This record gives sequence, C-alpha cells and structure tokens, in this order.
Amino acid sequence: MSDTSVVAAAGATAAPPSERQQARRENWRLVRRRPAFIIGLVILLVWIVCALFGTSFVPYDPFETREIAYARPGGTYYFGTDQTGRDVFSRVVVGARDVLKIAPLAAFLGVLFGVILGMFMGYVGRWFDLVSGRVVEALLSLPTILIGLLAVTTLGKSNPVVIGVVAVLFTPIVAKTVRAAVMAERDLDYVTSAKLRGESTPFIMFREILPNIWGPIIVELTIRVGYAIFVISTLSFLGAGPPPPSPEWGAQVSQGYNDLAAGFWWTTLFPALAIASLVIAVNLIADSVQAALEA
Amino acid sequence: MWRFLFKRLISSVVTLWLLASMLFLIVNVLPGNPGRKLLGPQAPQESVDQYNTKFGADRPLLEQYGKSMKRLAKLDFGDSYATGKSVVSVVRPALFRSGKLAVLALVITIPLAIFFGIYAARRQGKFADRAVVMTGLATSSIPEFVTAAVLMSVFCVTWKFGRVFATPPPGTSVISQFRYLIFPALAMVIIYFGYIARMTRAGVINALQADYSRTATMKGLSSGRVMRRHVLRNALAPTITVISVQVGYLFGSIIGVERVFNYQGIGSIILNAVGKKDIPLLQGSVLIIGIIYMLSTLLADLLIAFLNPRIRLEQS
Repeated sequence: MSDTSVVAAAGATAAPPSERQQARRENWRLVRRRPAFIIGLVILLVWIVCALFGTSFVPYDPFETREIAYARPGGTYYFGTDQTGRDVFSRVVVGARDVLKIAPLAAFLGVLFGVILGMFMGYVGRWFDLVSGRVVEALLSLPTILIGLLAVTTLGKSNPVVIGVVAVLFTPIVAKTVRAAVMAERDLDYVTSAKLRGESTPFIMFREILPNIWGPIIVELTIRVGYAIFVISTLSFLGAGPPPPSPEWGAQVSQGYNDLAAGFWWTTLFPALAIASLVIAVNLIADSVQAALEA
Repeated sequence: MWRFLFKRLISSVVTLWLLASMLFLIVNVLPGNPGRKLLGPQAPQESVDQYNTKFGADRPLLEQYGKSMKRLAKLDFGDSYATGKSVVSVVRPALFRSGKLAVLALVITIPLAIFFGIYAARRQGKFADRAVVMTGLATSSIPEFVTAAVLMSVFCVTWKFGRVFATPPPGTSVISQFRYLIFPALAMVIIYFGYIARMTRAGVINALQADYSRTATMKGLSSGRVMRRHVLRNALAPTITVISVQVGYLFGSIIGVERVFNYQGIGSIILNAVGKKDIPLLQGSVLIIGIIYMLSTLLADLLIAFLNPRIRLEQS
C-alpha cells in the first residue's frame, strides 16, 4: 500500500472521472499482485470450470450406481466410490454446480436489500433508523444457521427458498455496514450542495451518495459470497438442501458421514475438502479486495 | 454504573421480545395445520382436531401470539408437540451437554487465540504475522461441519485417536470424557481461533500506536510492563466483544459438529425437532439460545465497562 495510492484513493471521491478511473486502476494493480489473490482466483476458476463443463470431462456418470460400493480411492476411481458405487470424483466435480449457482445469487440479493435498507437508515434516519436498528439487532442476535434452518423447514426446501432466506439473513448485516458508510458521507459538502440545489431525497441517496460508497459495498459483496457458500452448504448438510441423489457438496457429506464409523472416510473427506477449498478461495479474494479498496 | 446496567437490561428485553415475535412470524407465516403435519395424512380428522385444540393451534393467530408472549414472560416455553413434555425439561440435559462441549472449546481457544494475536501484533508485517492472519482467515471461513468431518476422518477413523460417537456413556470419568469431547471441541476451536486472534491483533496494534503507549515506553517502563499496564487493558475490549458474540454463535455452529460426531446436545434436539416439525420445541430451543446470547453479550458489555471507565461514564 504505497502512499501514492492512498492519496489517489482519497482524492477519488471528489475528483473528475478520469482521475477516479486512474485511482481505481491503481487499486486494481495492487490487488492483482497479491499472491493470496492469485491463489484464490486460480482455485475459484478451477471450480467454475468444473461447474460449467464438469459433466463433459468427468470419467464416470455421477449418478450411475455400480456393483463396487466403497471402492478405495486409487487409479480407477480417484476418490473411491460411495455406498451405491457412484464415483466420488465425478460427483465432487459436478457438485460444484449447485453451490456456485445459488451462493452468488443469494449474496447479491442480500447486498441489494441491505444497501437499500442501509441507505434509508443512514440518510433518512430518525424514527426509521431507530426502529429498523432494533429489528436489525434482534436478527443479528441469532446464529444465521438456526434462523435459516427454521425458515427453510417451515417454508419448504427448494432453491428459491434457500436463496431468499439467505438473502434476508444477510440484509441486516449489510445494512449495518452501509448505514455507517452513509452516515460518514451525509454531512459532506457535496450532499449539502445537492440539497441546496433542491434535489429530491432519492436522487441524493442513489445518485450522489451511492457512487461514493461503492468501495465498502463491493467488499461486503465479496465477503457475503464466502458466507453464502458457508451457510448454504451447512444448511444442506443439516438436511435443508437438495434431496439425496444430488451431488451438492453439503448433501454429499450428509449422505457420507454415517459411513465414517465403518472406516469409509473418502465419501465424506473429498466433498468436505471441496467446500473448504472454495470457501478459502473466495475469502482470499475478498480479503485482497478489501485491502485494496480500503487502502 | 447501575443506570448503565438498567439501560442495557431494558434493551436486552426489547431485543428478546422482537426476536420472539420474529420467530412467531417465521413459524406461522404459512397457513399450516400442526396436528395434520405431525400426525401425517392418514390420521383420522378427529385426532387431528383434538390435537390442535389441545395445543391451541386452532385459535386465531393474534390470540396465539398474545398467549405465547404471555407465557414467555413467565419463562414458560410450552410443551413439545411430539412428546408432550415441557420444552425446558427436554432442552435442559441437552443444553448441559452442549455447554460442556462449548466450554471446552472456549477454554482451549481463548488463551491460544489471544497469545497468537499478541504475538502477530508485535511482529506486524513480518512473516509470522502474515502466517497467523492467513491461517486465521482460512480456518475461520470453513464451515464447522466440514472441519468436524475432516478431523473425524483423519483422527477418529484412520488413526483412531478419538471417538466416532462422542456422547460419553453415563458414569464416564471426567478424564475419559475428555477423549470423547476433544475432537468435536477442536472443530470449534479451529473456527473461532481465527476471529479472536485477528481481533486481538488489531486491538493490540491500535493500542501500541497510541500516544499513551509511546509515553509509557519513553518514560522507561519495560516492554512487558507497557504491554500489561497500558496496551492490553485497551486492546482487549474488542476481543471481549468478539468472544461474547461468538458464545451465541457457538451454539449455532454446534449443530453441525454435534451431527457429525453423533453428540446428543442442543443441536441434535433442534435437528430432531426439525425432522418431526415439532414447532414449540424448535421455537423454544432457538429462543433459549437467543437468551444465552443476550446474557453473554450483556456480561461482555459489563466487563468492558468495568475495564474502561470512559465507556461506563459516557453511557450513564
């Protein structure tokens, strides 16, 4: 984080577009150079390729059952086979699809709701801020997984429900961050001058303030994608995910962990490591984005 | 101090009431028929009706809400649909078992994380610091059921150090209980280590850069004394907050760990309740976890106010 970038980033808020663009480019260059970012990106890209083209290069059909149940990992079946003789390697590769489809969407929706709520809380303030502040705190006071489990149980298990529930669970957390960012901006000169110009409140919120708080919002989005993977795979492990034949990773662990006692570790370990690697990758990227945007 | 405590208590009660209302909303958002859900589609209509009347599930929603809030004020969480026993009597022994696991996890995590947080802060920017931060970031982002599954595959299945079924049989001595509990506890240690270590590190770095630390060093205090008397007192406030927040989350994440290790705690109660659609039991156990969380954050706020007079005076 050199001094020039600090100056450039600080100047970006009020600077003309060309200078702001330059500052962004400078920040991006900083992000790109971090080894953590590169490692994270490579792992993420591998999983995206698996999700998009996995079905065409896996050695076996991930749903086809075989006579050889619980074959040990080796040359024929890289990660072994599971209780019905399905190839664990093929299932892990194809299983990337579900989580990579659901998690970013849930995170995006959560950030969208959170930005809208946080903007109103921070800018409109007063009683609205007071009331929603209390509700936000109550929502935050419970482990996400618990509320998620409760909501998915009562609303029914399906992808749209999981996406909606995770998005709603993320809303208060995002709103809190956005509210703080808005509070820091709302008494600055450019907001005051927009008010004096007679601009409407929505215009000031979304055309004046919003462009200036993109930094924390993008950071929040990358962090939320990581958490969404965390929450969605946990929910699916706890039985609130896609039903059994699905190769979704959390569901695979939940189908496999009962075999651990009998010594068949591979049906659990490989999908578990897949989840771990994806979550770590996304978090390495998020950490780098945060370090660069907040420089 | 008393005013601060009073204010803080009132706001806890308000939050708890909001929480209970939200739970009520989630549970009742769909027009459901608890008797039908529980007894299944083949059950005769009379027994379904009888069931609903017995648990008041056939009354208007607003009346049900009023009733459940009134009961809650008396700390009565109602009876389980499935067994008819009171929620508290079902939850208590399970909560005790989960508590044992959680305490073991915290007893290992807190000193370890604070030690590494301080260690990293004093070597800021060097390799050891990056290693602690990156390890913390990586381990705290992995879902706990994944960590638990990996620990179990490696240590309990392949090397047979720990137990696959972690619930100790009754009458097991404390020392042998340790062998049952250590790996599920470690799964939680791995998650919480990162959060607490990072928070400690940030707090210590802030305090080390503050004027009072510089003054203390300049007037000739030894670095150990500066650390103890000036830095840690100020640096640990955010750490205490994080620990108290994590105590609540610990009970959320314990569900996954308990399931992997077949441990009969609050998590398995909740999962069973989910499976049987036992709404009162589910609602009750989630609320009890909410109360534990409230108490732990309250305790943390008091502790911070005690350590830092500025907060104490500002609030009252």
